[in-house]
Amino acid sequence: MKRLLEASWLRAVAFALGLLVLWQIASDLKVISPIFFPPPSKTLLELYRQIVEGTIWTPLVETSLRMFYGWVLASLSGVMLGAAIGSSPAARDFLNPLLEFVRPLPASAIIPPAILFLGLSNTMSVTVIAFGAIWPVLLASVYGFASVSRQLVDVAAALRLTRIQFMVKIAIPGAMPDILAGARVSLAIALILAVVTEMQASQPGLGQNILLAQRSYRSAELYAGVVVLGLMGFVINYALQLIEAWALRWRPVHS
Amino acid sequence: MAADKAGSAVSVRGVSMAFTTGAPVLADVSFEVREGEFFCIVGPSGCGKTTLLRLLAGLLKPTGGDIDFYGAPIAGPGRDRAIVFQDYSKALLPWRTVAGNISLSLEACNVPEEERAGRINALLAKMNLQRAAKQYPSALSGGMQQRVQIARCLAQQPKLLLMDEPFGALDAMTRQTLQDEVARLAVEQKTTVVFITHDLEEAIYLGDRVIALGTNPGRIVEMVEVGIPRPRNQLLTREDSRFLAHRHHLFGLLQGH
Amino acid sequence: MRRFLRGSTIPVLLVALWEVLSRTGILPMDTTSRPSLVVVAGYEGMADGSILIATWQTIEAAMFGFLMATVIGVLCGVVLGLSRKLEAIVGPSVDALRPIPAVALIPLSLLLFGFGLNLEAAVVAFACVWPVLLVTIAAVHGIEPRLLELARVLEMPFATRMRKIILPAALGRITVGLRVAVSISLVVAVTVEIVLNPRGLGYSMMMAQQTLKPELMYAQLLWLGALGWALNAALQKAVSCWPGMNELGGQS
Repeated sequence: MKRLLEASWLRAVAFALGLLVLWQIASDLKVISPIFFPPPSKTLLELYRQIVEGTIWTPLVETSLRMFYGWVLASLSGVMLGAAIGSSPAARDFLNPLLEFVRPLPASAIIPPAILFLGLSNTMSVTVIAFGAIWPVLLASVYGFASVSRQLVDVAAALRLTRIQFMVKIAIPGAMPDILAGARVSLAIALILAVVTEMQASQPGLGQNILLAQRSYRSAELYAGVVVLGLMGFVINYALQLIEAWALRWRPVHS
Repeated sequence: MAADKAGSAVSVRGVSMAFTTGAPVLADVSFEVREGEFFCIVGPSGCGKTTLLRLLAGLLKPTGGDIDFYGAPIAGPGRDRAIVFQDYSKALLPWRTVAGNISLSLEACNVPEEERAGRINALLAKMNLQRAAKQYPSALSGGMQQRVQIARCLAQQPKLLLMDEPFGALDAMTRQTLQDEVARLAVEQKTTVVFITHDLEEAIYLGDRVIALGTNPGRIVEMVEVGIPRPRNQLLTREDSRFLAHRHHLFGLLQGH
Repeated sequence: MRRFLRGSTIPVLLVALWEVLSRTGILPMDTTSRPSLVVVAGYEGMADGSILIATWQTIEAAMFGFLMATVIGVLCGVVLGLSRKLEAIVGPSVDALRPIPAVALIPLSLLLFGFGLNLEAAVVAFACVWPVLLVTIAAVHGIEPRLLELARVLEMPFATRMRKIILPAALGRITVGLRVAVSISLVVAVTVEIVLNPRGLGYSMMMAQQTLKPELMYAQLLWLGALGWALNAALQKAVSCWPGMNELGGQS
């Protein structure tokens, strides 16, 4: 069984490498335009150069921080709002229609008003990220807090738990699977919006870098930027999956 | 039992209950539960058994009549009354281990942290849960989960244990084992128990007294003094002539509704 | 009724407050404008057709990208779903591409296509293809194996098998992925327009902001919100009308 797994893993790597080699040859022979599709070797060399010269880190850190601040802001306010709305049917009646209207609004659509109020600033950028990233967390928290089982509400009442004890010991851990799933989606959105605001509002970071690379037809640099963003997307998703698995280790294992 | 000499733990007088929507659920229900008594309430579904239990727990307020607990009217839920729910899987905290679930009661009762471990271990031993202490509820069988719930209730050292069809979802073997354990615990701890079930034999087997509820609206149709000495035995008690007589009598009454 | 009243309380109060604060001069006109002016700007934009044209451009790009994603996603999904071996070989490459944020491809798409519909549709397609692909693979895995065996026993050629067994059997769950993809398509289209593509609603909002016409910008923002809401409501309705959708929705 193990040998079989290793074999299919090898084949998967061979497949990916094969594609890259084909690309390399086609681009070298100019079957496809080396300006639009530079050979992978050039992209790799560019990445190597950026790492050796250290120029890769500043934009990476800029983008990561922006994404992270917006996401933390969104997660905290999303959970708090979600707790308030989820545990009160009246709040749900008052706020749900408004939320239902704002939620499907493309997050990037608030960039124009955000620029109007906050200018082309980092504050604008973080605000837009937080606004766009709040929805998955908010909706998941509302659902999580609203679906605490009646038995647990009764248990809490019979034990005379205080409001705070109920929140800390029962409601928040109960809503945690939903909150974490929402937070993972939120982080992906935060990365997207960090890149978008960097491109639109000329904030320093990976988004701006790849746009500038495109404008001067430095396509290897453009592809390198895309690769870095892809790696970022992979790493943050994987990291949150690990956190989720650890925090929710009490859940029964599904096949 | 010697319950006659003991005082009254619960006194229910002329209680009626109606929800805003629909017909009354309970009408003019009166009974007394003596201190240390094992008191069973049996009835078909829809007779308001669970509502009655929630009234005793203080989770609901009656629309008419009075309920006293040791002489004082019940104003709301209290830690001196513990409830064991039928649906154990929803009443346990899935993110806490068995020990953690028992600890919840101790935390609520403000038991200092250094005392908790000892009390948890004692309860684990009492409910035969030592091996499962570090496991999460989802890894346990239904019977084990129900033991955890009972242990959690005992942890709050209640004067009154309210049990809402606690064994209804368990298989027959597990059910009999737990019946005997609960009967033994009630005697050991001298806890008053109000036990709800739709299983007539279970009610007679466990109870010092049994009341039968009828439906539409829920009301008492009969009260019997079981009068079979303890400890009881799954085989012999169920073949006892008094057991069979109660069963015949109540079966006929419940069938009529 | 009570719920409707409660639901409309806060939006109505907010708009009223906005109008009052604006008229008393507390809110600056150049950033917050005024609800009454927003209504007028929206009406004018509708009357001269400019908002509707921009809307069409956005929807056109969203739909074009969505259709490409659907064709590619369903075809590849069926093939990968039918062969575990192939999935094991190709899957990791797919997993390597999937985490790339679609917006990172905006400059690349600009390099390839220049400004216009194709640039936008390509980015939309990249963003939409993943939910369609993954759901299709899962849907094909979920097909009752006896149905596939039946097709083999009847010696159906591939195209017939596809048309008579695989697609109908998997369609219910694929619809779930398509629904997600439709919502994504609108969001991504607007985003590309806001970032750099000079067409559609996103671009005209940017223009309204830059030419200091906040009332027009807010009118378009509200219109876009209404559009997103209507699309969402329509999709929910469509999916709930699908036979047996309620059980399937939970599985995906």
